[in-house]
Amino acid sequence: MKGTEVIFEDVSKFYGEVLGVNKVTLHIPPGITSLVGPNGSGKTTLMNLMTGLIHPGRGSITVLGLSPRDPEQLMRVTGYATQFDSAPRWATGMEFVSTGLTLYGYSPTEARDRAWQALEQVGLTEAAGRKVAGYSKGMRQRVRLAQAIAHDPQVLVLDEPLNGLDPLVRAETISLFRRYAAEGRHVILSSHVLQEVDLISDQVILIANGMIVAEGEIRGVRDEMSEHPSQFIIRCRDASRIASLLFCEDHVTEIKMNDDRLGLLVLTRNREEFSRALTRIALAGHVIDGVIPSDESVDALYEYLIGGGRA
Amino acid sequence: MTITKVQVQQAWTIARIEMRRAFLSKRGLWVYLLALFPAVAFFGHGLQMKFMEERWSRNGLTQARVVDSFTKGEKVDEILKRAPNPSFDHEWTNRREDEGDRDDKDRKTQPEEPQRRRAISYYDGQRVIDLRFTNGVLVEKHVRFFRDPTDDRRVFAVIFQFFYLRLAIFFGCLGIFMNLFRGEMLDKTLHFWFLAPVRREVLLAGKYLAGLVASTVIFGGGALLGYAAMLWPNTGVDAQAFIAAAGWSHAFWYAAAATLGCLGYGSVFLAAGLLLKNPIIPAAVILLWESINNFLPAALQKLSVLYYLQSLCPESALIDEQQPLLRLLLAPAAPASKSLAVLGLVLVTALVLWAASRAVTRIEINYSTE
Repeated sequence: MKGTEVIFEDVSKFYGEVLGVNKVTLHIPPGITSLVGPNGSGKTTLMNLMTGLIHPGRGSITVLGLSPRDPEQLMRVTGYATQFDSAPRWATGMEFVSTGLTLYGYSPTEARDRAWQALEQVGLTEAAGRKVAGYSKGMRQRVRLAQAIAHDPQVLVLDEPLNGLDPLVRAETISLFRRYAAEGRHVILSSHVLQEVDLISDQVILIANGMIVAEGEIRGVRDEMSEHPSQFIIRCRDASRIASLLFCEDHVTEIKMNDDRLGLLVLTRNREEFSRALTRIALAGHVIDGVIPSDESVDALYEYLIGGGRA
Repeated sequence: MTITKVQVQQAWTIARIEMRRAFLSKRGLWVYLLALFPAVAFFGHGLQMKFMEERWSRNGLTQARVVDSFTKGEKVDEILKRAPNPSFDHEWTNRREDEGDRDDKDRKTQPEEPQRRRAISYYDGQRVIDLRFTNGVLVEKHVRFFRDPTDDRRVFAVIFQFFYLRLAIFFGCLGIFMNLFRGEMLDKTLHFWFLAPVRREVLLAGKYLAGLVASTVIFGGGALLGYAAMLWPNTGVDAQAFIAAAGWSHAFWYAAAATLGCLGYGSVFLAAGLLLKNPIIPAAVILLWESINNFLPAALQKLSVLYYLQSLCPESALIDEQQPLLRLLLAPAAPASKSLAVLGLVLVTALVLWAASRAVTRIEINYSTE
């Protein structure tokens, strides 16, 4: 198994006095694995460690049995689409992808063919001749993805790969990940939005403050999430009446009235039931000006997971 | 570590890509100004010489034996009879004699006597002969070579050693080689290379090669261009004989000194770019060491890149004998043999590059701290 996994053994990384990750032990099997955590939690640090851009202060890492300190071997089986938004000034989309390929030993013609295929997969062939520096954020995201997949790697590491993609490209990108996973490869991606990777991941690794909070198949984490009450803010004119109606619902655990009596903070254990209840209340003639989820960010989930359900 | 064919190809691929950055970096265009300064200066000097020559020979050349025959005390008419077409002729009247010619007592007692003065110059194709007449009699004769290839070569040697090697190549290499890694850190593009299937040492070799090719072309070319610009107006027989006898050899060694300067300083600044964020500090320290080099004892002089580079120069930049204080302070060590100088520079370069190759494997991508 060792040669087919990405393994972190007791890995710690500090940036001076600042913690990157601490005592991380992970065995990542093939398939789609999502690293999920709030900004600054250590997701990018883990990805940079496994691709050798930074080195651990303690512990060891292997990617399919290869050391990240050996880029000559490692990067032949690994593609990494970083979050670094800069590209060499001289590079067009085609050059950005094909130049890297020439270092893999492909002839210029082969490199261009492969680069074209990769750009085709991310829907960027029309802009292939333009300078990357002039691309939009979404296009730069895609060209980095193209570069990462161009040499057909066994391990695809992607830092926030769905950021800035339009829905169509996002769907195509997700199907690309699924295809890679179906072929027995690793797709390791990061996100700070759990809901985003919920449907596509075979397993998730939740990370906060440089430590692994939860790890495993998505169902287990999702169950953990379902126990977490969701919070909504309701803006309405008849707050006390609506509060009394909502209290009759089993799934509502707590309601707080706003000081101006024009708003409510509602905690519910069932988002769908809550939605239906609100519809019923509105149809009964009560005016609801707006409903805003107040804890959809993954930060709130982490507060819940790490803080033992305090949220 | 054995070097494979693939690694050589990778290094060359990287070098080809990086040459664009090394040659055309907007941050480094000032390097061309440094490299071309001697050529521009000598070209300007050459143009001035051509212009003056054209002016001197407008009335035709005067034979050398004729101008050599002029002696003090001769009348102006006799001279003009033998050489009727001077290049320059100007006549004026002095109301009083030069004050230095008389003491105060004389001045008070003797009346002022107007004197007719005349300046005539001849050009024989190589020399300018200035004649000064007082009241129609030749009183002064000055002969100067219009073109002095030996003097030009000495000036070139001084400019090459005191400006080109010490400043132009030094700062040029600082600009080119520091930019190879440090520039990419600032542009946040270094990860592009670190994510390629390339050993860091190979990346270093490729980048160094790019810098070396660029700096050699710029500064080696600049040295040759400057040398050619220096020789260009010297069309006389002596100059042609010099070019045929030693000109090519001198040109080769100037270009070689420039190239080896790039080799040595390039490796130092590449390593500095890997180890330090601020190029000012290493540049200042090395520049200070190299600048005070000539004031140091002979043994310490040999611990500088400049000592070996100067040993390669075909002509020494002689210290003016008229300046005894400078002569006292500057005590150049005996130059090393050319083969020893080349070997010394190559060994120093290899050592610095080895240290740089250790450093590059430890580099991490952490743009936020840049």
